[in-house]
Amino acid sequence: MSITIKLFSSLREVLGESEFEFVLTELDGTATVAAVKSALSQRGATWQEALNQSNLVHALNHKVVWTDAVVTAGDELAFFPPMTGG
Amino acid sequence: MTVSIQREPIDVAREYAQLVGPRPGAAVATFTGYVRDHSDAHAVSQLELEHYPEMAQKVLMALGERAADQFGLSRWRIVHRYGLLDVAETIVWVGAVAEHRGEAISASELMMDTLKTDAPFWKREQGPDGQVWVASKAVDQHRRARWRSEEKA
Repeated sequence: MSITIKLFSSLREVLGESEFEFVLTELDGTATVAAVKSALSQRGATWQEALNQSNLVHALNHKVVWTDAVVTAGDELAFFPPMTGG
Repeated sequence: MTVSIQREPIDVAREYAQLVGPRPGAAVATFTGYVRDHSDAHAVSQLELEHYPEMAQKVLMALGERAADQFGLSRWRIVHRYGLLDVAETIVWVGAVAEHRGEAISASELMMDTLKTDAPFWKREQGPDGQVWVASKAVDQHRRARWRSEEKA
């Protein structure tokens, strides 16, 4: 299944991408945010380190979720550091 | 009752006039945030604000609606900027109209405390040693947590 990954702020800079389609080949139907993180971590040490920061925030379809949230085809999953607006 | 996420400066006088309209409620509270010329560690000459447009819009709308429900607001408005900002420019403006001052002030405080930690904006300061992403502050998390404990109650 294919999902959209979005990266923001320092994570976007470190990983050099802001948005891309990601195909989870080894899974069918559903996966968790944790599974997507671990699949993306296979892209190399930079990805593994960036996606495993303790304060990383995950937003699934524009809502902040924990890593056990279920991801389905067509979803938008964003990763970013803690927000600092206002 | 509305949110604006915009690149252009906030016209505070116009925002205020539109919020209160010809017949203000009994109590109006507003907050305006400006770019400071310093952070905790260094001088700041410019501020860049990155955001996640679709999510920011949804989070700010939900926040305004929550404040309106919780404090019985008749009107509210949240304006937040993005892009490159100079020192002393406006960053954020919130306004709340209620029956009494307590509700108007508390609603403004709830909106500000919550948007700082929950709305997807990220500040990057231009300082003497280059650009630095602003780290989230413990004090902001604590202020946000006060409202979270009320959510559970």
